[in-house]
Amino acid sequence: MATATISARRNQNLYRQPTKLVLGPSSATFGIIAIITLFAFLYLNQITKTGTFGYRLTALQVQHDQILAQNQEFGVEAARLASLQQVQSSANVAHMVPTTRDQISYASR
Amino acid sequence: MRSYTDNVLQRRRLAWLISSLAIFGVVLFGRLFWLQVVSHKHYAAEASQEHIRKYSVPAKRGQLYTEDSGILAPLALNQTLKQLTADPRYVLDKADAANKLAAVTGGDAAKYQKRLENGIEYAVLDERIPSVIANKIKQLNIAGIGLVEHDYRTYPEGTLAAQVLGFVNADGAGQYGIEGYLNEALNGTNGQLSAKTDTHGIPIQTANNTIKAPVDGKSYVLTIDRNIQAEVEKDIAAQVQKVHAKSGSAVVLDPNTGKVMAMANYPSFDPNNYSRVADYNVFQNQVVSNAFEPGSGIKVFTMAAGLDKGVVTPETTYDDPFCLKIDDRNVCDAAGDKPGKNKTMTVVLRDSLNTGVIRVLELLGGDPAKITLSGKKILFDYFTKHFGFGVRTGIEQAGEGSGSVQPASTNNVTYATTTFGQGMTATMIQMSAAMAAVANGGTLYQPQLVSGIVNEVGGINRLEPKIVSSHVISPKTASDLNQMLQIVVQHGSGYTAYDPHYKIAGKTGTAQIPRPDGKGYIDGANIGSFVGFAPADKPRFVLMVTINQPEVDGYAEFTTVPVFSTITQWLLKYYSIPPSA
Repeated sequence: MATATISARRNQNLYRQPTKLVLGPSSATFGIIAIITLFAFLYLNQITKTGTFGYRLTALQVQHDQILAQNQEFGVEAARLASLQQVQSSANVAHMVPTTRDQISYASR
Repeated sequence: MRSYTDNVLQRRRLAWLISSLAIFGVVLFGRLFWLQVVSHKHYAAEASQEHIRKYSVPAKRGQLYTEDSGILAPLALNQTLKQLTADPRYVLDKADAANKLAAVTGGDAAKYQKRLENGIEYAVLDERIPSVIANKIKQLNIAGIGLVEHDYRTYPEGTLAAQVLGFVNADGAGQYGIEGYLNEALNGTNGQLSAKTDTHGIPIQTANNTIKAPVDGKSYVLTIDRNIQAEVEKDIAAQVQKVHAKSGSAVVLDPNTGKVMAMANYPSFDPNNYSRVADYNVFQNQVVSNAFEPGSGIKVFTMAAGLDKGVVTPETTYDDPFCLKIDDRNVCDAAGDKPGKNKTMTVVLRDSLNTGVIRVLELLGGDPAKITLSGKKILFDYFTKHFGFGVRTGIEQAGEGSGSVQPASTNNVTYATTTFGQGMTATMIQMSAAMAAVANGGTLYQPQLVSGIVNEVGGINRLEPKIVSSHVISPKTASDLNQMLQIVVQHGSGYTAYDPHYKIAGKTGTAQIPRPDGKGYIDGANIGSFVGFAPADKPRFVLMVTINQPEVDGYAEFTTVPVFSTITQWLLKYYSIPPSA
């Protein structure tokens, strides 16, 4: 058992040649182009995103303005409904009667 | 195998090619250098102009309010609505389009059709379209019909205080009233947006956009009490119609602060539809702009000068000759008066005797028999410096009139008539402010229409009353005049305003109207006025009423005093003022 193991070890090529990673001119060019493309892609992506956000923001602002305009319309309508002309023409006021002096008593002068 | 010559030729061609490419490269590099380095600024600016645009950011116009039981009630608001427009060239079936639009807006189909037929490239069919209706119009999808956003000024109270408010015209400029007077402050300052745009010129949000924020206009709170305003407008309109007059006006002032509680004119207009008004005179607030000959109402202030200078007392007597010869003219009492002896100054005011106030002028000059320069100077001084006639009050209204008082160097006849309100002019607001000084014991307040400014948190920064002068007359003079004016109401021309439960003081005036050419007066035309205050023992309001050219016989006691009385009675109830002791 021990003999067989030794023989197997003997048959092994124990010397290993260290692999050397060499960046040739083509790979370097390719690498640089890839990095530039990646950065360009990232840049374009960001720019497009910003642009899209700009449009979304503009759309939201338009919506915001529309809501404000609607709010303004409601405000004006509320003011119109609370105006004296409206109040005086309401059914409640129509049933009111003017007071006469003898109906009024003052607690103190 | 290539020959030697071929090799040389090939090398030469290669050299030429390389040289040409090198030269091209140098030229290209040079051009790029020129464009990108040397001319960088120029092209950068051009690029910016292409992609960056400047927009004006409009400031919001300030709004106008009044207070009702401590709550702000809006009088003038901003509203962004749509304008219904059309390019008639693209509206093929105009009648059908007009009918469809009218069905949605509730407008007049015939009007729409007429505008579509008359318009060439652009026609405004309707104004003030709210967003709900605008959406329905969009759904109709009619070719050639458009909606344009437009800022409008809305007056929710309709015609209420129309002349006091004025209006904002199509260019966004305030006209007349407070809109005109405070236009700049209400407008604010527009901002500016410098933004990158897309190919359609629509601004895009980027970090490089710069904005100069607009400064919104200030919002004001007015002193007007809308309940009083409505009542006064109603009563004036009723009286003008009753006596078939051309117009009428009234003003209610708080004598203790100078605050204007109401200013009404009839006829009036709706500032929401100011463009429908044919007679532009209707826009004028006659209370502040119309300087008229006030007539006998001015006798109060002639008498005030005499009392204050100590030349007369309420009991001082004179013999009334009915007519006084001044230089070459006879100046007389009003028709119906009679000459008499020992008439007191109280009677002079009660019966409105012209000769009585001329006597006061004579006494001011130190000679009871003639008018002197010193007497005229004193009267001029009281009228202009003490009571503020001939000078604008400074009330927050566009187009305020100053009126005029002739200088002391003017002839004696003119000065004699000035004592009873002819040959001089004054506005209602001047008369009311002067009467307020009598009512409050001698303090002349500047009439005030703005009570405060709305601050950032929605509160009100209150404005203090403005005192023009604290002692225009002594408290004793004011007190004497107060008593004398109560007698005018109790026993004189103001008798129709008399109320046994309340002390009311006032003075009538019936002024003739000068002819436009300045020669004499218009026959049968007059302006009746009544200026007074109540309750006289503790004045709460000054009220002046004028009725312009009534078509009924008689003096102011029949035209203005009844409406003064109606408004006074209403105000006494409104303020819950208990009867005088």
